[in-house]
Amino acid sequence: MRSFSSRNLISLRRPLLAGLVGLTLASSLLAATAYDFFICANINRNYVIGSTIVTTNGLFQRDAATEEWHHFGYNDTTISAVAVDPRDHDVIYTTTLNGIWVSYDGGDSWKMTNSWDMTEGRDVAVDPHAPDTVYFALPDGIAVSTDRGQTWERRENGLPDRGKFTQTLAVDRTTEGRVFAGCEKGVFLTENAGHSWRQVLPTETQVNDVEQSPHNDQHWLAVTDTHGAWHSTDGGETWMQIEALPDQEAIYNVTFDPTDAARLAIASWAYGVWTSEDGGKTWLERNAGLPDNARAWRVGVDPNTGRLYASIFQETLFYSDDFGRTWEPDALEGSLVNAFLSLPRAQR
Amino acid sequence: MKSLNYFRPTSSLRLWVVLAVTTSALAQPAFEEPFSREPVEALDVRRAEYMDRIQQMQDWRIGLYAEKNYTTMDNSALSMLLIRGEKIEECNQRVIELMQSPGTGPFWMFPIAMVAYAGRDNLSAEARQSIRDAWRTTRQLRGDTENHWVMYHTAMYLMAQLYPDEPGSEWWNGLSSDENRVEGRDWLLDWMNITTTIGQGEYNATHYIGEYAIPLLMLKVWSDDPAMRQRATIVLDWIFAELATVTLDGVLRGPNSRTDDYSVVERWYALSTYFSWQLFGNVPAGEGFRGWGWGSYFAVLAEHYQVPNVIYRIATDRQDDILQHDRARSRRIWRYSDEHMRPIYKTQYLRENYAVGSHQGGLSDPIQSHVWDVTWNVDDPRGVHNTMFSLHPHSSGRVQQMFFCTFPEPMPPGVTFEGKPSYNSANKLLGCSPYEQVMQDLDTIIALYDIDPAEDFPQVNGFFSKDLAEVEEHASGWIFARGGTTYLAYRPLAAYTWEPHIRYPNGRDPTITEETGGRVLVSPHVKNGTILQAADGDEFANMAAFQAAILALPLEYSLDPRPTIRFTSLRGRDLEMTYGGTPIVDGEPINYAGWKLFEGPHMNSELNSRVLTITHGQLGRVLDYNTLSITDIVMP
Repeated sequence: MRSFSSRNLISLRRPLLAGLVGLTLASSLLAATAYDFFICANINRNYVIGSTIVTTNGLFQRDAATEEWHHFGYNDTTISAVAVDPRDHDVIYTTTLNGIWVSYDGGDSWKMTNSWDMTEGRDVAVDPHAPDTVYFALPDGIAVSTDRGQTWERRENGLPDRGKFTQTLAVDRTTEGRVFAGCEKGVFLTENAGHSWRQVLPTETQVNDVEQSPHNDQHWLAVTDTHGAWHSTDGGETWMQIEALPDQEAIYNVTFDPTDAARLAIASWAYGVWTSEDGGKTWLERNAGLPDNARAWRVGVDPNTGRLYASIFQETLFYSDDFGRTWEPDALEGSLVNAFLSLPRAQR
Repeated sequence: MKSLNYFRPTSSLRLWVVLAVTTSALAQPAFEEPFSREPVEALDVRRAEYMDRIQQMQDWRIGLYAEKNYTTMDNSALSMLLIRGEKIEECNQRVIELMQSPGTGPFWMFPIAMVAYAGRDNLSAEARQSIRDAWRTTRQLRGDTENHWVMYHTAMYLMAQLYPDEPGSEWWNGLSSDENRVEGRDWLLDWMNITTTIGQGEYNATHYIGEYAIPLLMLKVWSDDPAMRQRATIVLDWIFAELATVTLDGVLRGPNSRTDDYSVVERWYALSTYFSWQLFGNVPAGEGFRGWGWGSYFAVLAEHYQVPNVIYRIATDRQDDILQHDRARSRRIWRYSDEHMRPIYKTQYLRENYAVGSHQGGLSDPIQSHVWDVTWNVDDPRGVHNTMFSLHPHSSGRVQQMFFCTFPEPMPPGVTFEGKPSYNSANKLLGCSPYEQVMQDLDTIIALYDIDPAEDFPQVNGFFSKDLAEVEEHASGWIFARGGTTYLAYRPLAAYTWEPHIRYPNGRDPTITEETGGRVLVSPHVKNGTILQAADGDEFANMAAFQAAILALPLEYSLDPRPTIRFTSLRGRDLEMTYGGTPIVDGEPINYAGWKLFEGPHMNSELNSRVLTITHGQLGRVLDYNTLSITDIVMP
């Protein structure tokens, strides 16, 4: 078993103020709260740069009543991630090939606020304890805004000169300024809003996703290209490899089920969808009912229902109401879902 | 004087047929009439012929629509007519129609910027407003390669200049006119600075040269800033000086950062040939200007630029062999490498009838790279596969991840539907590979391969053209052939079989293939190598004499544990190379680190100097990017 421990840190833990599901909610609140459920998706089968857009890409919201997806905001075939200001859901941050786009009016208008040398945005995250502070993942590092995305500065002290391709960012909902970055050479942690970073999990290949449990703020998961899946039960200080998951091929993302602390799922091009229902101790392949050789791009869970979604590469989005035992096709044929996002309606 | 007869297409290429039918009724002297490669001495005549070629390209392009109607015009024809002041009402209608479904990205942006400028004084208010609206409402993608960014930032820079002092609400990206202009300018200055300091990223590109030259010409003509105009002029001269130097009678050969399945074997079939035709007049055009699509955009503004005499003569007046050692850089590497950009070391050796070119091998560009070849001259290069080379057909999601923001699995199959149909095929002829290392000394190439057995395609492919003559697989292990008047000796270092050479007539469907009549030498051994020795036909009485000379050359090699070779070339040079080591010539390791940016008889530039001296005979031009000066000098 591979494991890695970082040095212990003294940190200030603050109580939960507000937050995003998957980032911010304690399980005790879940039953009483309803959520708006979003995805950012590219419906771009066979699209190449230069084509006229004939499909719809960007942000979609799930209509719980009709079970339909409604597009809003802009149409950009390269959208990769989304984050929302927990104080004001009309403040939306999205990353795309061009960089980062910010809307302050719920998606009616947008501004590209990155400079020409901060492009190919990979991920974006808002600090729920300091919502003016926004983190922006780049293929060559990390930028931080302290003015709600209007201006950006690179904060990369402690990241390797080479090896700081940052695919994912995750803010610790317990502590202001405590952020994990999934990079080419491992998981890096800042506890001072990006002013310095330290490696808490070295990896040989790209870290693709880092997630914090909505049920236990000390429980974290990380998945990589070919360095396996990892978990931490001490707030990300030490990491242990999840032996029950394969590590020869890339795992693209991991998700917790906000409605059930025992349930986890991963998506992988090579392995498809795997789930655990015992908190990650054992895992089962859950591809029956998905297309043959299911190339799973991303999984996510609707916190309203516990419904598991699986985005299969340029196929229809699929869902499962029994956590992967059976699958049904949803809408959005030819899509790639790059992010799932849930927002407590009470925050609006 | 060399002159050519009418060209009669014999190929069954689909595209050819389509174009032939499409253009059958259009006059095209550049295709139909004999041409000369002799330099035009009188400058006024040269200018007149240059202008005539512009006229031909424009007339042909406009003529495509005059035969049918103007409702299907492309943006280059629109721009031409707008500048001529012709068919304005048809242009108005077409612009309005086009703006109803705008495209998304640099390949849409720069042509529309061209239309906007060409029509700024004579398009109707409604048509101009439709363009303006599109740039407010339609999101654009900057793309993911260097040529994309040149087009994107040029377009944004010029459009922001065209519509100054407007707030972010009037632009698709929410930035004000001034913010967009500054953003575009700063990126362009950074790119020009890097290019003149450590070299081009997409160096010697067979097609993408247009994606640089056209935006640069737009900046030269339309930028309000005299400094930007001068910068663009300097970089145009810079790029075209290299084109002049490394083309063989107008045909770009040798290593290419990017090329494609067609151009890599039919070397004439490339947009770079359009630029030779337009700028130097030393190469014939294809029927319907096939393969030269983007050239029509350069033709819109070409009257505003002409290469200086020194560059023209480098291209057209070759008295001596050229040995050029130059540097360039790889595509930017995001991850899985300690290098942000790899230095590329190019060797170009050009003689009257053939040329040998290479870079050191390894990764340069992940999809469409070409590392080395020998290319020979022919009277009429159209349809001729006048080249020979070998490569490892590398396909890798991991390497794609180095250069693109992607997961490992989607790209290898995905790019085959994006105009790179052979990428994931064992029989492909496009490189590059991390398992290939190359050395060149004059007209000798040694390419060694130490391929990871886990590679998808653990083999070496060698291209043997349909146009070779006197091909003989000699008992010694050498394969002899003649290309044009050039003698060729190709030595595979491991066993091989032959497969038909196939091409992909549909760039977006790798399942559609056609045989060309050529062959691919397939050597399915991971420890491998190729030796190539070329010689001019005048050097030997016949093929037998050439063979005897080759067979007399000392050669030792072994493949395990690593390929290693000692070979005395036809030029009497002792060449030593071990995979993973520094190549040695006459006992001296090649000092790549000491190479200049350009060093040769015609182009010289110290690394990081940002000064390029171009010479031919007594002619000289100094491009100084530091002072933004262009100085013509007389050499002693």
